[in-house]
Amino acid sequence: MSMPYVGHATRRVESDVCIIGGGISAALLAERLSELAPRLTVVVVEAGERLFDVENRRQHRQRALAYGENEWPGDFIPDQGGEGVISRTMAVGGSAMHWQGHANRFSAEDLRLKSMYGLATDWPLEWSELEPFLADAERRIGVAGEPSPHPEDARSAPYPMPPMPLTYNLAQMKAWAEKSGLPFYGCPVARNTVKYDGRSECRRCNTCTVCPTGARYSPDYTFQRLLAGAKIALHDRVLVRRLVVHETRDDIVAAIGYHAERPGEAIEYRARTFVVASGYAWSPHLLLLSASSRFPQGLANRSDTVGRYMTGHKFTTAQIELDEKLYPGMNAPYPLISRQHFRCPTDGAFARFDIQIFESEAGRRPRLKGARGAMLFGDDLLRDWSARAEKGVARVRMYSDTHPSRDSRLTLDPSTRNRHGDPMPRIVHKLDEASEAREPATQARIRAIYDQMARAGGGRVLSVAVADYQDHPAGGCRMGSDPATSVCDSFGRTHDHPNLFVVGAPTLPTGGCTNGTITFAGLTLRSAGQVAATT
Amino acid sequence: MRRRTVLQSALAVVATLPIPRMRAWAQGIGFPGLREETLQTLAATVLPESLGRARTNAVALEFAEWVAGYREGAELSPGYGSPRVRYTGPSPAATYDRQLQALASGPLAHSELSARRRALADELRRAGIEDLTSIPRGAHVVADLMSFWFTSSTAHDLAYQAAIGKDRCRTIANSAARPAPLAPR
Repeated sequence: MSMPYVGHATRRVESDVCIIGGGISAALLAERLSELAPRLTVVVVEAGERLFDVENRRQHRQRALAYGENEWPGDFIPDQGGEGVISRTMAVGGSAMHWQGHANRFSAEDLRLKSMYGLATDWPLEWSELEPFLADAERRIGVAGEPSPHPEDARSAPYPMPPMPLTYNLAQMKAWAEKSGLPFYGCPVARNTVKYDGRSECRRCNTCTVCPTGARYSPDYTFQRLLAGAKIALHDRVLVRRLVVHETRDDIVAAIGYHAERPGEAIEYRARTFVVASGYAWSPHLLLLSASSRFPQGLANRSDTVGRYMTGHKFTTAQIELDEKLYPGMNAPYPLISRQHFRCPTDGAFARFDIQIFESEAGRRPRLKGARGAMLFGDDLLRDWSARAEKGVARVRMYSDTHPSRDSRLTLDPSTRNRHGDPMPRIVHKLDEASEAREPATQARIRAIYDQMARAGGGRVLSVAVADYQDHPAGGCRMGSDPATSVCDSFGRTHDHPNLFVVGAPTLPTGGCTNGTITFAGLTLRSAGQVAATT
Repeated sequence: MRRRTVLQSALAVVATLPIPRMRAWAQGIGFPGLREETLQTLAATVLPESLGRARTNAVALEFAEWVAGYREGAELSPGYGSPRVRYTGPSPAATYDRQLQALASGPLAHSELSARRRALADELRRAGIEDLTSIPRGAHVVADLMSFWFTSSTAHDLAYQAAIGKDRCRTIANSAARPAPLAPR
């Protein structure tokens, strides 16, 4: 068993708002709070380190390219991981330190699955209530994009930057793909196409997961600005292990953290409002870890919903050979996107997915053995490679909208513990019955689209693979109107504790069918007003 | 052939000492040490002959610099999806040195290029090497030298006969243009 906190902290830190977690949601929430209520004192507590070393990123990139070294050295805590957690990153800035910046929006359908299709659940807010905050997130992060060709994707504000220009490869692939009747355009990305917010223009370094120029947004820039303006206090390398509830009331009185170098000394964070902004895994994990005699199932969990409805989306990837030459390496992390299948008829089979097309080197890498198995050396190897490169390959990926079962769970795994003895999370995704039932038809539909693209544009499908994990994970503290079936309201305020909020990814009831970061960020910005008002 | 430096000579002596840790250190620091000529012959054998000997010698030197820059116990990328915390293993310098020594009196002793390649193919089969890797993995100096160069931006451009520059940072302004063809060599 983990050691209970007995109320003898060696240090006490007081603030108006205590944000637990230091990822993109925490950064944007702290920034918005500093604007809405500048007199509030805000402390951000993050278990990982602050990696404010943009000057080293060029070198890190080189080491990653040459040696495969971690492009973000020090961005994880070796004993703080869990089965089913798809990223080890634990640092100030969180996963968004090494995201590729794909900044697609969800759509109104995501919020109305029950009403429109009789599936999963509706979100407890309208698209019109969320959309302005998506635009605000895009402005703060800095998104370059072009308007979607679909009128349903109307925006309240234009993208803050002109779109990333299509490379030669993407222009060819767009012409090829659109012969199938699907419209494609450049995916919106959080990469500067012009100088923006003090950061430079993209230099197409091809390694967006570590951007050596600062053109791709990461939350460290926001944190550094907040710190420079003395708007927040940032306590990094402090792992919050539990939240403490008032003895008789339901409000949270403290968060108990431990510095990495002083694991035996508790730090007691006292605040009027607590915000858990620790992502889809560590947010429900903290609430479950905080179980007490009054709350034996963990905090915010009277509904027994914390750690349930873990969501995300399945994805399928095809490599399709084209009849024309392409030149992979021009801007590999920049895709085309189609939102044609974001909408599906309400009176037919449900199948929602986005389609993203990337340049690809599949089957076009140098190889040691030729087609007949003979070892190749020198110019023979180069000629073999050049011959295969005469026909380009498109990597076509689809994120499909699948919905979680109530038993899609994060639980505490007693077999894996960190240095403090706390059980680590274990996540097992499980689709709901309707998603499971329609999965064969969805996959058949996806494969039919791959075939149609190859037939119409010319080419052949080389391979199709369904990933063995759910991407862009979310959920675990889902929002809802009914306290019996959800953890928090649409602002992230927990039903059970008046001064406890959860923000960002964990609050999503369903995971959509495209990248989630902008949605996580928009929801968080919407929460900021309530956090400020509560405090 | 480049003249051997005083440092290389000194390291070559240390590399023969019966003290494993010191020997490994000397081999790592001094790689290819005494095997410089063998490494150059290997490069001239496995890399495109069209590069010319001066260029393949230069690649051999760059590979030696790569070995010198190798860091033991460095964090590897944990990856995404099913991440694992991993670290780099020991420097491959000692393994390479041993393999180069064997190659010098074996496959690379043939005077004919085709004979050297046939012998190297047999050597790779014996070693269980099936393909190149995106980054040298320390399994075999032959495959690793090949992986080192064939996965480079330069090789990529040669294969596509176009100035793509996949590992370089480039302006976005001209990204719509087809990469320029390489100048005839």
